[in-house]
Amino acid sequence: MSLAVAASRLAVPARWYLGVLFVGAAWHKIASPESFAVDVATYDILPLGLVNLMAITLPWIEIVAGLMLLLGWRTRPASLLIAGMMLVFIVALAIALARGLDMSCGCFASQGAAEDPISYLTVLRDLAWLALSVLVLVGDRGLVGLDGLRRTRRVHA
Amino acid sequence: MARPVGCDVKVLGRVVAEATLVAGTSAALALAVNSVRSDGLPLVARTAYEVLVPCPEPGGEVTPVEAGELNLTSGRTFLIDARASDEHGTAHLPGAINVPYDWLEPLPEPELRALARSIAASRATRVVVYGDGERPDSGEHLGREISGRGIKNVEFVRGGAPALRLGDRR
Repeated sequence: MSLAVAASRLAVPARWYLGVLFVGAAWHKIASPESFAVDVATYDILPLGLVNLMAITLPWIEIVAGLMLLLGWRTRPASLLIAGMMLVFIVALAIALARGLDMSCGCFASQGAAEDPISYLTVLRDLAWLALSVLVLVGDRGLVGLDGLRRTRRVHA
Repeated sequence: MARPVGCDVKVLGRVVAEATLVAGTSAALALAVNSVRSDGLPLVARTAYEVLVPCPEPGGEVTPVEAGELNLTSGRTFLIDARASDEHGTAHLPGAINVPYDWLEPLPEPELRALARSIAASRATRVVVYGDGERPDSGEHLGREISGRGIKNVEFVRGGAPALRLGDRR
C-alpha cells in the first residue's frame, strides 16, 4: 500500500473525529455566548473591542467546518480552517501558560480552572489535533463523503 | 488520484479561497443569528468582563505532619513560625525562628537567602513550618512558598499553633 493510499484511508476516521470534536466544542459556545466571551477575555490577548466579535463568530466557523468534515464536503478548505484555528488556539494557550495563568482552556463547555486547567498537556493535545487536520488536508481523497460522490458522478457523466 | 495539496500552487490557492469564503459566510451567519437571539451579545463589549484568574503562586511540595507526631528530638529539625511577630513573641516552640507570612507579597529574596543560610548552618535535615492554623493556614502557605523557591524537605504542622497548644502558654 502506498503512502498516499494509507493517508487517504487514515484521513477518513481522522475527518470524522475532528468533525465530531468541533461540532461538539462549538455547540456549547453557541448555546452560551456570554460564557464563551468570558473565556476569550480570560486569555487577555484580544482588546476588549474584539472579544465579543470573536466569541460570536468563532463557534460558527467551528461548527460549519466540523459539519463539512463530517459530510465529506469540501474537506480541504474545512481542514485548512480547522488547522488554522488549532494554530491560533495553540499560540493562545502557549501565551497563557507563559504568563502563568491558572485558567480553564475554554475549549469545550465553560468550566472553571479547577475542573479543566490548562497545561502543557493541553498544548500537546492541540498539536495532535493539528497533526490530524494536516493529515486530512493533505491525505483526504474524498472517500466516504460528498466530495467522493461528486467526483464519481463527474467520471460517469 | 489527486495530488497532495502542497504540490499544486493553483490547488492551494483555490483551497485557501474556499476556506476564506466558508469562514466569511459562517461569520455572517453568526452575526445574523446573534442579532435575532434574545441573549445575543453586543458586537463590542461595553464594559470589561470580570475575569477571575487566581494569581500564580510559586508552590512547592510540602508534607503535612500532625502536631502530636512532631518529634522534635529526632533528627535535626529547623523550626519556622509563620505567624505574626506579636503572636510569636507571646509563645513559640523552643528554637523556632519567626518568618511572618505575608499573604500579599512573596518573601523578599534577601530574607529567603538569609533563611537558606541559617538552615544550612544548622545542618538541619528537615524544615518544619507552623502557622496560625486557620483556613487557609499561613504555615502551609509559607512552607509551599519556600519549598517552591528551592528549600528542600519542608513540612508543615497540620492545624498550626492551636494544634501545638501554643495558645495555652500565653
